[in-house]
Amino acid sequence: MLTAAATIIIITITTTIMTLETHTLLRLQSWLSPAFPTGGYAYSHGLEQAVEAGRVNDLETLIDWIDAVLRFGSGRLDASFLAAAWETCDDEDALRGLAELSAAMRGSAELGLETTAQGAAFLATVQAAWPDTRLARLIADLGTAEVPTTLPIAVGIAAGVHGLDVVATVPAYLQAFAANQVHAAQRLMAIGQTDGQRALARLEPAIHDTAAIAHARRPEDLGSATLMVDLSSLRHETQYTRLFRS
Amino acid sequence: MYADISPSEPRVPARDAELNRSDGRVHVGFASTGLATLYQRSPGRVLFPHVERGDIDQAVLLNTAGGLTGGDRWSAELDVADGARALFTTQAAERIYRALDDDARVETRFSVGAGAWAEWLPQETIVFEGARLRRRLEIDLAAEARLLAVESLVFGRLASGERITRGLLHDSWRVRRAGRLVWADTLYLEDDIAAVMARGATFAGARAMASVLLAVPDAERHLDGVREIVGEAGGAGLVSGLLLCRLLDSDPAAMKRRLTALIARLRRDAGGLPARLPRVWNC
Repeated sequence: MLTAAATIIIITITTTIMTLETHTLLRLQSWLSPAFPTGGYAYSHGLEQAVEAGRVNDLETLIDWIDAVLRFGSGRLDASFLAAAWETCDDEDALRGLAELSAAMRGSAELGLETTAQGAAFLATVQAAWPDTRLARLIADLGTAEVPTTLPIAVGIAAGVHGLDVVATVPAYLQAFAANQVHAAQRLMAIGQTDGQRALARLEPAIHDTAAIAHARRPEDLGSATLMVDLSSLRHETQYTRLFRS
Repeated sequence: MYADISPSEPRVPARDAELNRSDGRVHVGFASTGLATLYQRSPGRVLFPHVERGDIDQAVLLNTAGGLTGGDRWSAELDVADGARALFTTQAAERIYRALDDDARVETRFSVGAGAWAEWLPQETIVFEGARLRRRLEIDLAAEARLLAVESLVFGRLASGERITRGLLHDSWRVRRAGRLVWADTLYLEDDIAAVMARGATFAGARAMASVLLAVPDAERHLDGVREIVGEAGGAGLVSGLLLCRLLDSDPAAMKRRLTALIARLRRDAGGLPARLPRVWNC
């Protein structure tokens, strides 16, 4: 009896988890794919200037750079903003304050453009292909308050409204960010396809660790330490030849 | 020989709460007619030095406790009313010493009125091994307010090459213009700070940093001049209409020279004031 009951419970739980995961997985694979038209390929997050200045010059320095951005820079910040936006997608006032803080935390104009242009494009595409009236209301409210939506806020509210599992959304977001950085590096320096995947393999611990602490901090406690990313981005504005917008 | 600790021997405190902690507070306000508000609570003090010809009112903030440690509080409220001009600085570098278990908290609230010119030019903050500091600078600008604000941090004792292997630094800027948050920044370092600062994307081994913010209606006009002084040791750009400049250096003295040149230049070009620093900076 006991065994049978336990088996039923386990089957029920497994079925629920599978359904949830498949729903989440399908959306995340579409939304965070490089093919999703957010224009992510146009932004290097300061990497173009770091390569130009020789700070990033091979696979090792590239991995170290992205690992630090994930752990101490935009990775950590975005993970927390995304998780907080996911939690507040029912509370328009709280969301407005969070979105305002996220948009104001920009180390340079180009880094600000990178995240708000992608955030707007992300929401426009989600609404075009997966229309939802609740998400439309949130977007309209932020628009009325003239608060630009950064990419982590955009992904956080879309994932929240669409019922995606936040525990999967945060690492998927960070992986997409890391992959975009690696792709940018491949256009800037001699990093081959296989080395690109080696970089992503070695960045998994940073993604894992950063995602794990995303919920631990209150938004007002957020911060970063990637001064060189900010400096690179500020200096990128006057770089002579540029492939990227940041 | 004497392995037993005698019961009468004073116990070394393990928690900051067991020690006397300071709670310094100052409130200084300038109107276009001069000093309008002054409140000071020990160890907070405010000095008003004689100002050289052609320069503006100055208030020098002083922490008579000589530094901050775990559990200490410090707060400053600084107002520059509509049409007024004033400069605020500090008497000495602020030292943040090792904490037992609590954080030192520093809060500076700045409010700058329409047509006013305000300067926040504190000397550097020196963070020692084991220090825990939470600092917040809140700047409220009226739509037509003008401001030059600077903050600089030095990690470890200057001469001994001390590395900071544990501690906390949570250092925030929040800038509002006409009530709207236009720029927010938080430097956050915790635990093995030296290991984090060694990374290429963080401090790349530098031990001194400074941020300079200029809020004036035509900020972009000053960008080339600032970039010229900053050179390879930092970056400058416009963010939400504000001129933001960052300096990063392995040599704190070299950074201070550059920072001094920057302040002098911006005082002259953006403030129409003498290209010199408050006298306390030269002591």
